[in-house]
Amino acid sequence: MFGVEQHRDAGENLNQPGFEQVFLPHLDAAYNLARWLLRNDQDAEDAVQEAYMRAHKAFDRFRGGDGKAWLMTILRNVCYTMIKKLRSHETPEPFDEEIHQTVSGLEAQEAFRQKANAESLHCALEKLPDEFREVIVLHDLEGLAYKEIASVVGIPIGTVMSRLARARGRLRAEIIASNAKESLS
Amino acid sequence: MNHDEAEKLLGPYRDGELDLATCLKLEQHMADCPSCQQKLAGEQELVGLIQAETPRFKPSPFLKTRIQAALRGTAKPKWKWTYPIPLAFHELSILGSIAVIALLISVITPAALWLFSTSNSSRLAQEAVANHVRSLQVNHLMDVASTDQHTVKPWFAGKLDYSPQVVDLTPSGYPLIGGRLDVLDHRNVAAIVYQRRKHYINLFIWPIKEGSLHDRIYNQDGYHVLGWSKSGMNYLAVSEIGEKELREFVQMIQDQTIDSRPEE
Repeated sequence: MFGVEQHRDAGENLNQPGFEQVFLPHLDAAYNLARWLLRNDQDAEDAVQEAYMRAHKAFDRFRGGDGKAWLMTILRNVCYTMIKKLRSHETPEPFDEEIHQTVSGLEAQEAFRQKANAESLHCALEKLPDEFREVIVLHDLEGLAYKEIASVVGIPIGTVMSRLARARGRLRAEIIASNAKESLS
Repeated sequence: MNHDEAEKLLGPYRDGELDLATCLKLEQHMADCPSCQQKLAGEQELVGLIQAETPRFKPSPFLKTRIQAALRGTAKPKWKWTYPIPLAFHELSILGSIAVIALLISVITPAALWLFSTSNSSRLAQEAVANHVRSLQVNHLMDVASTDQHTVKPWFAGKLDYSPQVVDLTPSGYPLIGGRLDVLDHRNVAAIVYQRRKHYINLFIWPIKEGSLHDRIYNQDGYHVLGWSKSGMNYLAVSEIGEKELREFVQMIQDQTIDSRPEE
C-alpha cells in the first residue's frame, strides 16, 4: 500500500533483533532468580527490567553465546544492590548452627524422607542465606553448569562446588529441623 | 582415592561435573563403599525433590511487554518520512513567470496539501505510539478492565461526548480486555484494549472533526500504526504485533463496525 515507507523500514530494525532474540528467551529464568532472591513479585519484576536495560546498554560488550549466564550476572548485581537497600534496616535472622549440624546416616535419611514435601522444601529454601539459595536456584532449578555459576557469582569453580554441597547440606538439615519444630508444637 | 576425597566428589558426580578419569576412580571407590553409595542416593533424592517440587516463579505476562516497550523506548525515534518540503512559493514568484508559477501551483499544491495532511497523520501516529508505550509502561493499560463489550462501551458514557463502537474479537483470537481514556491530538479519545497472545493492541477512536485519516500504515521501532476512518469516526490501531496480524485485526474491526452514524 505504501511501498516507499515499507521498504525503508525493512532494514531499520536490524540493530534491534539481536538483543531481544538473545535475551528475551531467558526472561523466565531471570525472573525466577530475582524472585527467589528478592522474595517479592514487584521487586523481582523491577530488578529484571533494570537488568535488561543494563544488558541492552552493555550489549556491545557481549561476546556471544547463549547469553543466559551474562544476563544472570547483571541481574544478580541488580538484585544484590536492591537487597542492600531493602534490607538495610533488617537484622538478619541468626542461623541456628545447633539444628543445622550436618545430618548424615541412615536415620537422618529416613527422617528426611518422611518430612520432605513441597511445603517444607519451600520454607527451607526461603530460610537459606542468599549465597546458598542462589547456587541452588542457579544449578538445580535453572540448570547452569558450575563454570557458568562461577562467572555469574564471581567465585572459582572449586568454591561453587563446595558452596553447592554446603547449601544442599543446610537445605536438608533445614527440612528435617523445620518439620521437627512443627511436630513439637 | 580415599573415602574423604570421594565423599566430597559425590555432588559434582551427580551433577555430571567430573572429568572421565575422576569419575572412574570415584566409581571404583564407591563399588566397595556402602556409605558413599547411600550418600549419593541421598543427594539424588534431595536434588530430585528440589527439581520436582520447587515452585519456579513465573513473571506476569505484562513484564515482557513492559521490557520490550522500555527497550524500544530507549532507541531513537526513527520516523521514515523524509520527503522534502516543496520550495516556498514566494521565491518562485520572484522569477515573475506566471506560466511557471501556474504550472508549479497546479503540480505542487495538491502535493503540498497531501504532504501536510500526511505529516499531520504521521504526527498523530507518533503520538499514538507514545500513548501505546506509556500505557504498557506505567501499568495504566486499562481504566475499565472487562472482556464484555457491553461493559466497556457504557463506561465511556459521560466521559466522552461521543460513544465509540466496541466490538469483541475473542472468537478470532483478539480478546477484548478493557478500555481507557487517553489524549490524542489535544482531545480525549477512547482507547479500546485488545490482547494478542502476550501482546496488546490499543485502538484509539474519536470523531472526525478536522480531517479523516487515510488508510495507511506507519512503522516505528517495531510498532505498527494503522489508521482509517469509518462512519464519522477516526481509528488508529497501535501494536507491536506483526504488521500482517495488525492488518488482520483491523480488517475484522472494519468488518464488524456497523456502518451508521455514531450515536451522539
